[in-house]
Amino acid sequence: MPCRVGLCLVCLLACAAEFWAQDLGNMQIHGFVTQGFLYSSNNNYLTMNSSSGSLQWTEGAISLTDPVTDNLRVGVQLHMFQMGQVGGPNVQLDWASGDYQVNDNLGFRAGKVKIPLGLYNESQVVDPLFLWILLPQSIYPTDNRDFDLAVLGGEVYGSIDLGKRGGRLHYSGFAGENRLDANGGYVEQLQGYGLTFPTPPGGKAYGGDMRWGWRGLMVGASAQCQALDGTGPDGSLHLPTDLSLVYFADWKRGRWDVTGEYIRTPFVARLTIESTVVPLQFDQRGWYPMVIYRVTDKLHVGSYYSHYVNKAQDTSLPANYAKDWAISGRYDFNAYFYAKLESHFLHGDGLGYYASVNPNGLKPDSNMLAARVGFVF
Amino acid sequence: MRAVGRVRACVLGFGMICTCVAARAQDVVIVVNRNVTLSAISAQQLREVFTGVRSRLGDGTRAVPVVLKGGPAHEVFLRNHVGDNPQEFRARWRKAVFTGEGAMPKEFGSEAALLDYVAVTPGAIGYVSRVQEVVGVRVLTVTP
Repeated sequence: MPCRVGLCLVCLLACAAEFWAQDLGNMQIHGFVTQGFLYSSNNNYLTMNSSSGSLQWTEGAISLTDPVTDNLRVGVQLHMFQMGQVGGPNVQLDWASGDYQVNDNLGFRAGKVKIPLGLYNESQVVDPLFLWILLPQSIYPTDNRDFDLAVLGGEVYGSIDLGKRGGRLHYSGFAGENRLDANGGYVEQLQGYGLTFPTPPGGKAYGGDMRWGWRGLMVGASAQCQALDGTGPDGSLHLPTDLSLVYFADWKRGRWDVTGEYIRTPFVARLTIESTVVPLQFDQRGWYPMVIYRVTDKLHVGSYYSHYVNKAQDTSLPANYAKDWAISGRYDFNAYFYAKLESHFLHGDGLGYYASVNPNGLKPDSNMLAARVGFVF
Repeated sequence: MRAVGRVRACVLGFGMICTCVAARAQDVVIVVNRNVTLSAISAQQLREVFTGVRSRLGDGTRAVPVVLKGGPAHEVFLRNHVGDNPQEFRARWRKAVFTGEGAMPKEFGSEAALLDYVAVTPGAIGYVSRVQEVVGVRVLTVTP
């Protein structure tokens, strides 16, 4: 199935590229398609049969943007994502918005808008932008990312010029509603508790982001509040409004790019299964330092250490932590085609593992090799 | 010994002058549509326009940045005025496109085509190599 979906995507993108080559005035069409491969020494990762070597990771998107007037721009992006048992062949609406910019200090977006949470949340599905095959999972869990990507609502944004020596301050605030992805990792996990939902749980979300840029330095913080409720034939899920806080810094100088982020999300979710109430207590903390070096214009290499722990539980148990050393390389053949190779040294199984694909249990450590090729225009 | 020192100093000085002239010769000319009332733009403002951070020029005109598809003038412009190489520049704008925060600058295969577009598009700002004869547009000086 992934191969067929991938073929369809390639055809779709080829058609789009053909249209793009023609004169569309100011309207722009862009897209990408990627194929991934995972091989792990132990355990099956991210719902893929990775211990046998798996190609079950196909992804693509196509976006259309049209500047209607000087101040108003409209656009839409469709995204397809199949990774093991999560995602699916269905094309999803990644974002679709009208963007009215009064001036550089003030702008508004409405529709399905991206959530600015940390450095890469808005762009994490866009593989061509990154050196990494897998972003640090402690903050950007690939199997659950669809939930935090966007809200149906609005955003206010802008930036303030602080002068030649003061840099620039960027801000944004958003509010709206979002819903778990029916084919995402959270729904898969809830099914593990015996809960299914005709309509995936959803709720209100709001938050904001503030970041200051000065020359090659960027520092900032993001906050997101999220509530979640859902009812199914076997029970319900209730998550009172929780708060995620992210702090981040990025420093670019010459060929080097050094980044770090820290996130904390404490919450208590309540599952009601028939007449039994099951509280799920979390105090999730994740952080990573990351370094990228540009060897040549076409070759980038880098490494990061990603650390996740659930402080609300026994942190000595592998189920409550996940540590990952990653080393990665990316080569751009030209402006359109690229390839990536990445190794991971995983300790703990607090992230990315599912009982459905690991019926014999999990080993606490695993090494993994990942490869990915992509086409972008 | 003193004469040798003088000769060395002269050679060094001449070399430096040649280097400066060559570097200047390699720079590009910034051009805008004639509806823009400016005669100069700061290096920071120029960088911000071409990185998508600034949407308006100093006189309040909506900026429409345009670029060449490639070539020496494109690379010189990015290196001297944006601080990116072509790959970084492309990645920066792709991020804006794929997150719904912006649209790619229009690209042109030749300087003549770029100049034609700048000449008829209000707010358009681009660049051409210094050797290009610039007509029908306004030339901006870049101030530090």
